[in-house]
Amino acid sequence: MEQDAQLVQQCLLGDGSAWEELVRRHSRRIFNICYRFTGNRTEAEDLSQDVFLRVYRTLASYRSAHGGFATWVTSVTRNLLIDHYRRTKRDRVTDSLDDAMPMVENKESSGRRPDELALLGELSMQVQSALTHLSPELREAVILRDLQQLEYSEIQTVLAVPEGTVKSRINRGRIELARILQQMGVRPS
Amino acid sequence: MIWTCEQTEQLLTDYLDGLLPAEEQRAFDLHVNSCERCTPLVAGVSRAVANLHSLPELEAPPRLVYNILDATLGPRETVTGWAAMLAWLRGIASPKFAYGSLSFAATFMMIVTASGFNWKKPRVADLAPAAIYRNTNRQVHLAYARGTKYVSDLRVVYEIQSRLRQDNELPTSNEGTVPENNPQKQPGSSDGTNPATPRQQNRANEINSQIQMLAEELPLLSSKLSLVALEGSTPR
Repeated sequence: MEQDAQLVQQCLLGDGSAWEELVRRHSRRIFNICYRFTGNRTEAEDLSQDVFLRVYRTLASYRSAHGGFATWVTSVTRNLLIDHYRRTKRDRVTDSLDDAMPMVENKESSGRRPDELALLGELSMQVQSALTHLSPELREAVILRDLQQLEYSEIQTVLAVPEGTVKSRINRGRIELARILQQMGVRPS
Repeated sequence: MIWTCEQTEQLLTDYLDGLLPAEEQRAFDLHVNSCERCTPLVAGVSRAVANLHSLPELEAPPRLVYNILDATLGPRETVTGWAAMLAWLRGIASPKFAYGSLSFAATFMMIVTASGFNWKKPRVADLAPAAIYRNTNRQVHLAYARGTKYVSDLRVVYEIQSRLRQDNELPTSNEGTVPENNPQKQPGSSDGTNPATPRQQNRANEINSQIQMLAEELPLLSSKLSLVALEGSTPR
């Protein structure tokens, strides 16, 4: 964490290699958050790039006293993801779950590369599919807690909501996810 | 403590994350174990959390970092002229390059030496492809012949050693040994386990024939052996 703060300082002094190091340290994590939220690799890649562009432009506004650099970048990511969700809401077809499931599976199979299919496996694809059916506020809470393993206090900072709300969203998100997985007929791993 | 289904649902995350106080956790467990509605709920959510934890962390596309750097720092400048020459020289001075060069030179020297090139009296003609091929071929055949000879010599030595060991182990006389009483052995017949053939009784003949065989294989040894035989046969 201290190393991140030091790299940010070097960056602000015009050190390009420090910025490169920051990008290398955090790009994979940000890409994973974006992918788990959108369920689409191309969108996740574009969004990750947008996140770092925004971070680069607003780097001077980062204060290490307000939390770690990772938490700050996660906040920027979350805001961009919510903006993206609202922007693309009209384009999405909101079918019922029963109608959507076969379509989702077809879309998953046709839209992915063969190596990606092999990597994810059937269960991973089903869990990812179930995740994208959660409402955005529950989805982000579950992703931050169960996939990024953040503490409640960190999630509170990222989502800018009280700790009670964070717990409630994680709880509701998990119960909803279990219900969707049960409807999909997913067996325990 | 009275525990309700609503409490189970509200505090499920605290329970799964181990944040419930001990007393509440006991009440939670007691309720869940006896409630038909809450048992599948807790099991289902536990499985969902386990499924989430099993999701792999994906690798970011390799181009992502370069795209971000290009978009923020701008495309990388291509270095030309004297600056490029200096950068190249700096690359040569790196330990990795030096190690690579040394290992290449060592390999080259080994190959050239193996092809029969004389470093003390170097000749350009020795470096001609035909000469290198001829010399390498010769060296390989020489190495093969030496190896074959070495293996053959070893075989002869081991043969001699094993014969000598056999002779030492052979009993010279059966005097003093008491024959075991074999109930199956009938008077006037052999037991078949230790046939007393004339060939085995006379080991001297066999050793003599083996020495003759070895003498045929090793001419030098044969001359020494014949001398020894002569000395042995001469009356003193």
